[in-house]
Amino acid sequence: MAEQHDTLESLMRQAIAGDKRAYADLLRETSRFLRPFLTNRINSASEVDDLLQEILISIHKARGTYDGLRPYKPWAYAIAKFRLQDHLRNHYSDQLRHAVELSEVENNLAEPVTETDLTYESISGEIQKLSPKQAEILEMMHHEGYTAKEVAERIGMTESAVKVAAHRAYKILRKVVKR
Amino acid sequence: MANIEDLVIRLAHDDTPSRPAPHPVLLGLRWLAAATIYLAVSLWLSGVRPDLMAKLHSPMFDAEIAALALIFIATALSAAVLAFPDLHQMRRTALAPALPVALFIAVLFFAWRADFPPAPLPVHSFECTLSISLFSLLPAAWTFYSMRKYASTHTRWAGSVALLSAFSVGALWLRLHEQTDSIVHVVEWHYLPMLAIGLIGWWLGKAVLKW
Repeated sequence: MAEQHDTLESLMRQAIAGDKRAYADLLRETSRFLRPFLTNRINSASEVDDLLQEILISIHKARGTYDGLRPYKPWAYAIAKFRLQDHLRNHYSDQLRHAVELSEVENNLAEPVTETDLTYESISGEIQKLSPKQAEILEMMHHEGYTAKEVAERIGMTESAVKVAAHRAYKILRKVVKR
Repeated sequence: MANIEDLVIRLAHDDTPSRPAPHPVLLGLRWLAAATIYLAVSLWLSGVRPDLMAKLHSPMFDAEIAALALIFIATALSAAVLAFPDLHQMRRTALAPALPVALFIAVLFFAWRADFPPAPLPVHSFECTLSISLFSLLPAAWTFYSMRKYASTHTRWAGSVALLSAFSVGALWLRLHEQTDSIVHVVEWHYLPMLAIGLIGWWLGKAVLKW
């Protein structure tokens, strides 16, 4: 851990002079102050870890653009924001790519996907074979009795994303049950 | 957390050399010097307009060239600042081209008002845009190549300003080389394409300055 009298700027100056320990301390301090910044903007802890690693690599790549003479944090935050924007852009474009057409959902909304002879308990084995997220959503909606909106609030997704995930799970289960 | 610690140790022991970037003002001055030499050599090779000495006594022409030169200087410095992730904490310098551009528009407006009776339009048209674009290719490539060595986090903005800087060198060259007095032609075929170039730079910056 960096000693208290070592500011981030002086750590970077020492790092530029070739002090590897100072550089490691600087990177640790950087990850320490960037973690809450990312946690406030991203729900998933694993995504925060991945992004933090990506930011540290970017800081390492861009270290030549920092001279140790101006404040360090604005420089580090500028890189962190840049990578965060990239991450969010990729995340949302990925979601759009995998999104189900609204018309496809609407066609199935009238289908009695929940009004069936089957109970949650009778197919719980099949439910456990779904992805963890889908299984969690079905458990909350059909076992614990939460609405889609309540599930969305609890697991940090949008209501429509919960409905889409549930819809996909129903389709998988329907195929399994028909077999 | 263990992954982060492993990464920190790995990065701290990475011996890949990293060249320290020069101060952005120094970087901008280098680009300005290179572009000025390119402009001077090109004018020496292509020749200046025959009436240049007489035109330099025209306040409107002087103001136009001065405003264009200011855009060239301000965009080069702005591009240098935009090559740094935090703009080297010189945000005002990054915004510096705004004032010369406003001044340039005002100068063109007054030049257009003063152009009475209007000077005859030259017979050529798009050839001017093409010449400026071709002339600007080298400084544009040089600026983008230099900027890629750093770490811009404002890639679109940086690309736009870098291309404007290169295009302003081309516009200066053609204005000092070609004997054209029609302000309408100059605005239409020399300066309005600069807006399009700015948009191309907006797109190009995102693609080229990615890191």
